[in-house]
Amino acid sequence: MNILGISAHYHDSAAALVVDSVPVCAVQEERLSRHKGDPAFPLLAIESCLQHAGIEPNELDAVVFYERPMLKFDRILTCALRAFPQSWRAFPKAMKNSLGEKVWMRGIISSHLGVPGRKVLFTEHHQSHAAAAFLTAPTCRAAIMTADAVGEWATLSVGDGERLANGPTTIRRFREIRFPHSLGMLYSTFTAYLGFKVNEDEYKVMGLAAYGQPTLVEQVRKLIRRTPDGAFALDLNYFEFHTTAERCYSSRFIELFGPSRNPYEPIDLDTAEGQRFADCAASVQRVLEDTLVQLARALHEETGLPDLCLGGGVALNGVANARILAESGFERVFVPPAPGDAGCAIGAALYCDRICFGNPDRDLPDHPFWGPSVDGSELARLAREDGHFVEDCYDDALIDQIADDLAADRIVGWMEGALEFGPRALGHRSILAAPHTTEMRDRLNREIKYREPFRPFAPVVPIEVAARYFDIPPGGTRLARFMSGVFPVRREWRSRLQAITHVDGTARVQVLEPAMAPRLHALLEAYGQRTGIPVLLNTSFNLAGEPIVNRAVEGYSTFLRCRIDVLVAGETRVLKRTSAMTKTPVNTLKKEVA
Amino acid sequence: MYSARPHERPTAFDRMLIPVQRWIWSDADRRVQKLLRFSETETDGGRDILRAAEVTSDPLLRRLYLEHAIDEFRHGVLFRHRAAALLKVSPCRSNSGFQGDWLTPGGHGLDDLQVDGESDSDMLAFLHLSEKAAASRFTVYRDVMQHDPPTRAVFEEILHDETFHMNYTLTQLARVEPKRHRRHLWRARLSRLWKVYLRLATGLSGILGSMLLTIQYFVLLPPFAWLAKRAARRELSGWTIVSPGGSESLDRQY
Repeated sequence: MNILGISAHYHDSAAALVVDSVPVCAVQEERLSRHKGDPAFPLLAIESCLQHAGIEPNELDAVVFYERPMLKFDRILTCALRAFPQSWRAFPKAMKNSLGEKVWMRGIISSHLGVPGRKVLFTEHHQSHAAAAFLTAPTCRAAIMTADAVGEWATLSVGDGERLANGPTTIRRFREIRFPHSLGMLYSTFTAYLGFKVNEDEYKVMGLAAYGQPTLVEQVRKLIRRTPDGAFALDLNYFEFHTTAERCYSSRFIELFGPSRNPYEPIDLDTAEGQRFADCAASVQRVLEDTLVQLARALHEETGLPDLCLGGGVALNGVANARILAESGFERVFVPPAPGDAGCAIGAALYCDRICFGNPDRDLPDHPFWGPSVDGSELARLAREDGHFVEDCYDDALIDQIADDLAADRIVGWMEGALEFGPRALGHRSILAAPHTTEMRDRLNREIKYREPFRPFAPVVPIEVAARYFDIPPGGTRLARFMSGVFPVRREWRSRLQAITHVDGTARVQVLEPAMAPRLHALLEAYGQRTGIPVLLNTSFNLAGEPIVNRAVEGYSTFLRCRIDVLVAGETRVLKRTSAMTKTPVNTLKKEVA
Repeated sequence: MYSARPHERPTAFDRMLIPVQRWIWSDADRRVQKLLRFSETETDGGRDILRAAEVTSDPLLRRLYLEHAIDEFRHGVLFRHRAAALLKVSPCRSNSGFQGDWLTPGGHGLDDLQVDGESDSDMLAFLHLSEKAAASRFTVYRDVMQHDPPTRAVFEEILHDETFHMNYTLTQLARVEPKRHRRHLWRARLSRLWKVYLRLATGLSGILGSMLLTIQYFVLLPPFAWLAKRAARRELSGWTIVSPGGSESLDRQY
């Protein structure tokens, strides 16, 4: 049975293909279209999935869209009516936006793929999140909590799931909190207030929070109150996201927190203004964590289950995830590699397979590598054409060479195997570097990632030695499998792991099992033999504003535009020769014509 | 009036719009908004050209496109920094009304590009015309910016690069398609005209659509709004129970 899952039209669209109850391919549209966070209907991703499996659209048994478009339209229209007459500017935009394409998904999917309309199915947004979190996790029974900005109406839901080996699967949602009361929107409002991009830069707020003190917690608590039944409600007087499209927060919000940040001004943490923004970030982060921990604790008490599956965009908040693990009572917390909307494509397909078609449960591969594979020979051809130093070597020799490069403080662009699904680079499309000095962190920020100095870099460490360097609680290694938790760097190692230790002494560590990425694991060991510390800095292989690279040619063009010293794809190693570019006719030509 | 070199001489249409441009650029708010928009356009254009570098099979074009893309990214930064500097001096009061952007976009603003599907010759012809148009407009902007030397200097610097871009695209087009490069240029001109028409038509239909929807909003919606508000007042905050089986059918869009 072939089932295609699709998520699209909000942000970060994606497609995933499930064949005989097992995912065979999942890819975000942005990785193929090269437009970051691409929300367009994911035609390229669909094509890639079908090509990977070698099937035609008419061989699909079902195509599942990750939410119910008319239910979402119901919410948009109702909110516009409730905000009458303040919503008069937003109303035409919202209607044109929805009625243009979004509510006609059955017809659109049907016409794009040539499948009959009866094969096009719909899950609810939070059902998709729940399925993505539970059905991909190696647990048979777990509580499930999903939280994001908004789906159709739900913004947060709790429930449980159960699956029997080769037997039936159930996913129950007990209850939900509905729009406009949303933890995701609360966090996004502060994201906008702090001058960052909503739906994209929330992780910057989390990074900035470590530089501040939660001195404004009481003010943030005015925005969100707990309800007697244990849920929460936003005080809508402080928000405008539910009435206008122009601004998330109201004038009262400004009165409470002061003027918002100009997005074009860098945050200077040495000034009172910069510190105020950091304190705002720290305060909303604290309130978010407290709320999630309380909700998770209540769910644990209710279900009595040891495992929790977390889904939705809010589950990307690694600091909150670590606190949930530490304080909610759950022994293990599972967060999929793509907990956001992209992951809903895989969730919708699996939900349809297990629940709608009632197919028996099957164990799924426990890794994030569901995308297209990289071709080292493509890199070799391109680099040779441009006169760079190219070397093809077999595994051990290559690993030794790259370990030498890293030990010599060279920065390595590392591409191998299938592309990651989700926002984190987990060892197949990564920039790797020595993690020891602040100079390396500053160099990466300044010469490669071109990003704000307050944002931390993540480390990767073999599972066998993770506890030596990081203070990971029981159950933490699972959370750290896909970089979903933030844990303290052990005090005695902080001075030797400066590039990956955040200002508060923590790191969003990836704990690597050899089976998940054997070559990276071998590289970590080889690097450890040279330096005594088998830890590497691992950041996503992209430049600011661009999606993570997919093919070798994209890695190559990134390599040429920044100060990455060495590029690896498969078994090909390319060393940048600064003189290589001058050998090309570009400069000569430029001089001639300018 | 014009200090421009011959290749930077604005087109007749751009010269005609000089009084409008002078008015647009005279206001600090509008200047900031336009510089920020140019920054986005140049960066987007840079991404498109970078994509062209990634998809072309011609090694020389790949290197030239890459240089070009790096220039466009740098232009984006120059515009952004200048806008930030202006903002520092006089913070924006609001989004000023008329920007005139649909008339005179910068960089590649008029055109949506599907880089992956374009041949090298089509891409070069398109880029040549875009750069030529941008150079013409930027010459006007530079010349009406006499009251603001730093912004003028930004345009001056960018114009220098645009000249290189304009020339290399033409040279390479002649190399890639020695016999038919003029035909490609004409096709690209027609395609640009078609896109101008589409842009205007889309803009016009958007305005008409908004007007109709706004009228409907005030004429038809008030009773429904009253009902929706009444329902909202009765709604309890907190948890909503999800009825078991209520959402199990996957056929429904509701």
